[in-house]
Amino acid sequence: MWFRSALALALVASTAGAQAPDRDYTVLVASEAVDLITRITFGPGAGPTLVKVEGTTKVGINPVDPDGPHGLGLSPNAQQYYVSTAHGVPYGYLWKIDAKTNEVLGNVELGNFPATLQVSPDGGFVYVVNFNLHGEMVPSDVSVVSTDPFVEVARIQTCTMPHGSRLNPAGTKHYSACMMDDAVVEIDTRTLAVARYFVLKKGSEKGLIGAPRGQGEPGTGNREPSDHAGHGMSPPKPGDVSCSPTWAQPSADGRSVFVACNKANDIVEIDVASWTMKRRIPAGDGVYNLAVTRDGKLLVGTNKRGKSVSIIEIASGKELARVPTQRKVVHGVAISGDDRYAFISVEGIGSEPGTVEMIDLKTFTRVASADVGQMAGGIDVVGGGSQALR
Amino acid sequence: MILFSAIVLAALQAQTPGQQASAQLPPSPIAKVVVTPAKPTMVARDTLRLTAQALDARGKPVDSVRFRYVQSSGARFEGRVDTTGLVRSGSTGTIPVTVVALVPGTRPVTEVVEVKMLPGPAASVVIDAAPAKLVVGQQIVLSGTAFSAAGDQRADKLSWKSSAPNVARVANDGRLAALAAGKATITATTGSASGTLAVNVVPNTIASVEIMPATVAARTGDVVHFSITVKDAQGRKIDGLTPSWTFSPGQGMIEQDGGFVGYEARPYTVVATVGNRVAQAAVSLTHRDARRQATVVGRLPRTRFSTEEVWIHPDGKHVYLGSGGGGDVMYAIDVSNPAAPVVTDSVVSNTRRVNDVMTTPDGKFLVFTREGASDRKNGIVICSLEDPAHPKPIAEFTEGVTGGVHSAFIYKQEKFGTHIYLTNDGTGALHVIDINDPYHPKEVAQWKTERPDAGRSLHDIDLRDGLLYASYWNDGLVILDIGNGMKGGSPSNPKLVTQYKYDLNDLYRQVELTGGPGFIRGTHTAWRHKNYVFIADEVFPASGVKGAKDAAAGRAYGRLQVLDVTNIEKPRPVAFYEPEYGGVHNVWVAGDTLYMGAYNAGFRAFDISGDLRGDLRAQEREMVHVHTGDMEGKVQNSPDTWGVVVKDGLAYVNDNANGLWIIRIEPKKPDVVP
Repeated sequence: MWFRSALALALVASTAGAQAPDRDYTVLVASEAVDLITRITFGPGAGPTLVKVEGTTKVGINPVDPDGPHGLGLSPNAQQYYVSTAHGVPYGYLWKIDAKTNEVLGNVELGNFPATLQVSPDGGFVYVVNFNLHGEMVPSDVSVVSTDPFVEVARIQTCTMPHGSRLNPAGTKHYSACMMDDAVVEIDTRTLAVARYFVLKKGSEKGLIGAPRGQGEPGTGNREPSDHAGHGMSPPKPGDVSCSPTWAQPSADGRSVFVACNKANDIVEIDVASWTMKRRIPAGDGVYNLAVTRDGKLLVGTNKRGKSVSIIEIASGKELARVPTQRKVVHGVAISGDDRYAFISVEGIGSEPGTVEMIDLKTFTRVASADVGQMAGGIDVVGGGSQALR
Repeated sequence: MILFSAIVLAALQAQTPGQQASAQLPPSPIAKVVVTPAKPTMVARDTLRLTAQALDARGKPVDSVRFRYVQSSGARFEGRVDTTGLVRSGSTGTIPVTVVALVPGTRPVTEVVEVKMLPGPAASVVIDAAPAKLVVGQQIVLSGTAFSAAGDQRADKLSWKSSAPNVARVANDGRLAALAAGKATITATTGSASGTLAVNVVPNTIASVEIMPATVAARTGDVVHFSITVKDAQGRKIDGLTPSWTFSPGQGMIEQDGGFVGYEARPYTVVATVGNRVAQAAVSLTHRDARRQATVVGRLPRTRFSTEEVWIHPDGKHVYLGSGGGGDVMYAIDVSNPAAPVVTDSVVSNTRRVNDVMTTPDGKFLVFTREGASDRKNGIVICSLEDPAHPKPIAEFTEGVTGGVHSAFIYKQEKFGTHIYLTNDGTGALHVIDINDPYHPKEVAQWKTERPDAGRSLHDIDLRDGLLYASYWNDGLVILDIGNGMKGGSPSNPKLVTQYKYDLNDLYRQVELTGGPGFIRGTHTAWRHKNYVFIADEVFPASGVKGAKDAAAGRAYGRLQVLDVTNIEKPRPVAFYEPEYGGVHNVWVAGDTLYMGAYNAGFRAFDISGDLRGDLRAQEREMVHVHTGDMEGKVQNSPDTWGVVVKDGLAYVNDNANGLWIIRIEPKKPDVVP
C-alpha cells in the first residue's frame, strides 16, 4: 500500500559528497491513477528522515471513475497550482487550486486528454496541450487559459498528439513536441498563433514556417497509427529513424530548444534564431521529459523505458551520469530553483506506488525518495521547476 | 495547513530577487465588452451568430482585439458555440457563453451572456388521448401540447373551440361537456397551429354502469386493471365509452387505461364516471409483506484496494472479484463453503482497475477489463478456467482501446458463436470481439451513437435474445439488434432498434441545487426482464458537503426506472425506484426479485412480480436492505455497495469499500423464491 502513514520512506545515500539539504523544498506531484495531488517536503523541516508527505488533495469530479490528473504547474508566485485531468467524457479539464488551503478554486473544460502545462512567467496564462491520446490521429491543439478570469482564451491548432511543452524564459514562445508528427511546434505567445515547426526525423531535420499539416506529411509523422498507444513505452522497431518527440525544453537563455526523442533515444538541440539543428545528444532508453538548470549547465532527462535519469553537461553534450531509479516508468522532472536537486516522478507498474525521487545534482546520486499515489506524473517544485528560467 | 503555508513562505523568501513574484500582466485597454445581441434568443436547432465590440474607458472601440467565445459550464449537450461566436443549437435550453476579449500581452476581459434556445413557432398541436365517444352529459377535461416544427415542446396556452357547440361545448380551459347527440370537431389552437379531436356524442341511454372487478382484495403494489360495462335500459351493452377514473383516499395512482395501484394497506374506492352515471369499486389492500429477513452467510473483507465487479462461475463454487482505485488484481475465490470464502488465486495484470469480470456461459473462459495500464494499452484479458480456482491468462485484446475498457459482456448465439461486447472509455464506442477462438480474439465491429463527440460515453452493456441494451450515459438507453433479427443485425453489423432518452438534468435538478452545476449523471446500467427494461442512473453531485470529510462528504443519487418495452420501438416509463439515501448502481434479476447494489443505500432487493406501476418503494415492494458497512475494509463503516450476482439462493454482493458479502434472503411462506 503506497500510503501506510503520514511519514514516507526515505533513503539517504551515504555516498561521498552527498549532503543533506540545508533548506526545505516543497514538491507537488500528480498521481493519475488515483486522482491525487501529493505535497512533499524535502529538507530539514521534514524531520530526521528529510522527506515528509504533508498531505494529499483529491482532484476531479467523478468519485468512482478516475479523472486522471496528468500535468501540474505552479503559478510564479506559488499562490496557486494548476492541474490537468485527462480522462474526461470525452474532454478533460484544467483545475485551479489554492496552494495554501488546497481548495479547488475552479475548473475549465479543455480538449481531449489535456496533458502537460505551464503558467506563463507573468502569471497571466496557462498553456496546456490537448494530447488527444485516445482519439483519432488528427491535429490537436494547445489551450491557452487566462488565470484571472479563469477562462480559456484561445485554442491553437498545432499538430498530432502535442505532448511535452514549455515556454521560453521570456514567455514569448511556447514549444510543444508533436509525438505523432515527429516535429516540435513553436507558438508566438504575442499573436497566439503557430510561428514555426521543426521536423525531427533523423536525416530529414529541418525548420519550417507555419504548422505541420498532420500525420503523413512527407518527412514527418509516424506511419503506424497504433504506435501512440504505448505512449513512450514501446521501443522502436528495427530501422525506425523517427524521433517520437515527447518533450520540448527551452534552454536557460532561450537560445536553444532541447527535444527529447523517445524512440531515437537522443535529444535534438535546435538553434532558435536560425531554426536549425545544432546537434543530437545521446540519452538513455526512452528519454521522455527534460529540464535544465538555471545556470545553463545541466540538462536532465528522464528515461522512461530505461528506468534511469540522464544528467548531461550542455556545453559538451556529455552524459555525466545515468542515475538508476527505484521503480519503472520514469516520468517527470522538476529542478529546484537553486539548481541543487532534481525531483523525479516515477509512475510504477500496476499496484506499486508512484515515487518521487530526489537526485543531488552535485554528486549525481539519489538521496531520498517518497512513495506517493500510483502513476505519478506531473511534478513541480516551489521556487523552481516550471516557474524557473526567468 | 499552517506548516504548509510556512514552508511556502520560506521557499519564497529563499528565492533570489530575480525569482520573486513576476511583474503582473498589464491591464487591458478594454473597459467594456458589448455583445450583440445583448440578450440573445434563438430558435432551437437553428444557428445564431454572436458578435462583440470592445470599448475603452471613453467608449471608443479598441483596436487589435481578439475575441473568443467559450461555452461556460452547462448545456453541454444541448448546443455548442464555436470560438468565432457561432451558436449551434441542438435542442431547447440555455447556453452560458463567455466572450473573451484579449489584446495580446494584456489581461483579458470577459462578458457572459446567456443564449436562450427556445422552441420554434408552434407548428402542430397534439391533443392528449381522449375518448372519441361520449354520452350526453359526460364531461371530460381535454389537454394538449403545442410543438414546433422540429418537435420541441412549447408552453403555449391553447385555445379550444368546438365546431358544434350545441353538441359538445368546450371552454377555453379544455373542459368539454357533451350536450347533445351529434358529431363535433374540437380544435385546439395556438397561433397558426392546431390539432383536432373528432368527438361523437351519443344519446345517453345509460341505465347502468358496472365496474369490474367491483370488489378487489389485493396487496399494495398489485396492479388492478379495472374496466366498465355500460348498458342501456334494455340491457344492451353500449361499447366504446371511456370513463374518468379516480380513487380515494390514500396514496397510489390510476391511469386512463384503468390500471390502479395502491401504496397503502387500506380500503380504497375506485370510481368510474361516465356522464351522469358513476360506478364504484371497493378495493381492499393488505400489506404486500414482501419484506424478508436477510442473513449474512459469509464475508471476505478486502482492505488493500476497493473492490469492483463480482461474477460467479456457472459451477456455483467459484467467484471472481475485481479491484479498483489503483488495484491491479482479480481475485479467484472458492465459495463452495459460502460461510468461509477463501481466495484461491489472483491474477495480477498491468492495470490499475479491474472493473468488470465475466465468464463464458460454459465456464471455460473468463474476461476482465483493464483501465489505467502503465503502458496505456488497457483493453481486456482473457483467462482459461480449466481450473476455475486458478484462472490463467491466455490472451488479451488492446487494439484501439487505449482509453480503457470499463465493461465487457460475453454473449453466445448459436448462429454466430461467442463474442465479447466491450465499452471504449476513450471514444464511447461499442467494440465487438470474436472469441470463438479465445486464444486469438479479433474485432469484428464497432458501433457508436451518432452525435458530436462531446458527451458520448458508453458505460455498460446487457444482452438478451440477440438484443443489446447499451447504457449510453447522456444518450440514454440504446437497443441494438446483434442477432435477434428484428432489424437484420448481427455481431459484425449491429443495427439500431430504438433509443430512449430522457431529461437527466430535469430528473436530477435537486442534485444540481445541492452541489452546483456540472454534476455527474447518466444512464449507467440496463437489465431486460420479461417486457420490462430496468435502467439505473449513476448520479453524483458536483461538490460534496463543504467542511465535511471522508464518508460524510459525499453520497450517490440516482433512480431506477422501469420501461415497458411491449412495443420495443417505443419504450414507455411505467415505474421507478429511488432509495431514500444513496443511489442505484448494478442490478441483477432472478425469478421475480431484483437485486441491487445501491451505493450508500447498501444492498437492496425487491419484489418485481406482476405488473409494475408507480413508486415501487412506496408500495412496499422492498424485500431486503442490508447496510454493508463494516469496520473491516478499505473504508470503514461506510457502505458503498457496487453490485450483486445471484446463484442457488445466495446473493454475492460486492461492496466497493470493503469486499464481498454472501447474503441469503430467508424465504417466507408461501415461498417467493428469490
